[in-house]
Amino acid sequence: MLLTLDLNDARPLHEQVAGAIRRAIGDGSYAPGDRLPSARDLADVLGINANTVLRALRDLRDEGLLEFRRGRGISVAGQLDGRALLVQRARELLEEARRYGYRRDDLIAILEELP
Amino acid sequence: MTTRIVGTVWGLIITAVLVTVPLSFRDRLPDPLATHWSDRADRSSSFTQFMLMAVLPWVVTWAVMVGMALHGRMLRRRLSRGYWWGFLVGVGLFAVGITLTTVYANLDRPVWTEAELPAWIVLAVVVAAASGGLAAGFLGRGEPDQPPPAGEAPPKLRLRAGQRSVWVSRVSNPWLLAMTVVGGATFIVAAGVAFIGATPDTVWGSLLFASAVVFVSGLFTSAAIVRVTDDGLALGFGPFGWPVRRIRLSKIEKAWSEVRYPSQVGGWGIRGVPGMAAIMLRGGDCLVLRYHSGGQLLISVDDARRGASLINALIEEKVA
Repeated sequence: MLLTLDLNDARPLHEQVAGAIRRAIGDGSYAPGDRLPSARDLADVLGINANTVLRALRDLRDEGLLEFRRGRGISVAGQLDGRALLVQRARELLEEARRYGYRRDDLIAILEELP
Repeated sequence: MTTRIVGTVWGLIITAVLVTVPLSFRDRLPDPLATHWSDRADRSSSFTQFMLMAVLPWVVTWAVMVGMALHGRMLRRRLSRGYWWGFLVGVGLFAVGITLTTVYANLDRPVWTEAELPAWIVLAVVVAAASGGLAAGFLGRGEPDQPPPAGEAPPKLRLRAGQRSVWVSRVSNPWLLAMTVVGGATFIVAAGVAFIGATPDTVWGSLLFASAVVFVSGLFTSAAIVRVTDDGLALGFGPFGWPVRRIRLSKIEKAWSEVRYPSQVGGWGIRGVPGMAAIMLRGGDCLVLRYHSGGQLLISVDDARRGASLINALIEEKVA
């Protein structure tokens, strides 16, 4: 699982981790039924506390994206719905725009210019 | 194609020797004849039994090897061609050696108990079979494997400033995990039985040893976890991810993903030959690393393409 975190992201860490996992699933790394690496493995590779990862995983379970099964670990429950992925990407786009000095309205203007 | 023809002809020659030599000396052999020695001949078989025991195991081995060559993917890789030739020739020589020495030891003896087989002959058969197998493996390995087509660039991820990307993937083999558990359980039971002294020393001794070997090797080779971060690649062995082998990015030239099968790297588990090491837990998608030193490391792991793309991106970032 490829996870990307934004070092300048001001959101709480568990939200960032949830976003990274959501993106990894949305990108097609994992299909419904596939098992995810364990919370400990994810925490190790990200260099963060396992409880933070668990909190992110629980959020995703509540969204219906993941399911926890005793003895089977954590697996992908369903396909990410398109809107959730778009919201995730839009949020990242907005963050990036801000880094370059553009505001929300500028970004909307750019979107409106697109065919 | 030549491999299959030569393999078939080799099999026919060995089978012919195994059948004709004992038959042509039949009137000079005792019946039953000695087939097992410790200090002296201690076990005998009838001539028919001896013939079956000499020919059948070889014919089955030969049929399996030729079948693998005809239908499998085994001969596509240099390493597995080496194994295939080594095994076919080594086993063939061993079968012929055993048959010839048994005939020689029994030749012109009035009864089987008088058959003598000096230990050095047995040793010579083993050494000849092993060196013949090694030589055949070396000669039969053929051309080096074709590198991936030049047009196909290794995958590379686009890293953005201010972002940190990591990759993690775990692979495990349920069969090897089950064997590890069975090995551990057998060890505990055997140790318990040995403790109360219910079985003879030799039985529990070998059982304890065998189960300990299965358990310990399974503990390190039934699963693996691969982590890629800015620091490089960390490879954890076994279900507990320990011990960990760390590979610095500066050592790696490039990475890519490739479909490989256990038959192409010499089996399951940790496999090593000069120039290539493999951690093979299941056939399919594998992550391959090439070191600057020229060696390769292959790890059968899911989502290998994304892992390889991150490694390549990180290498480029370090160089830049």
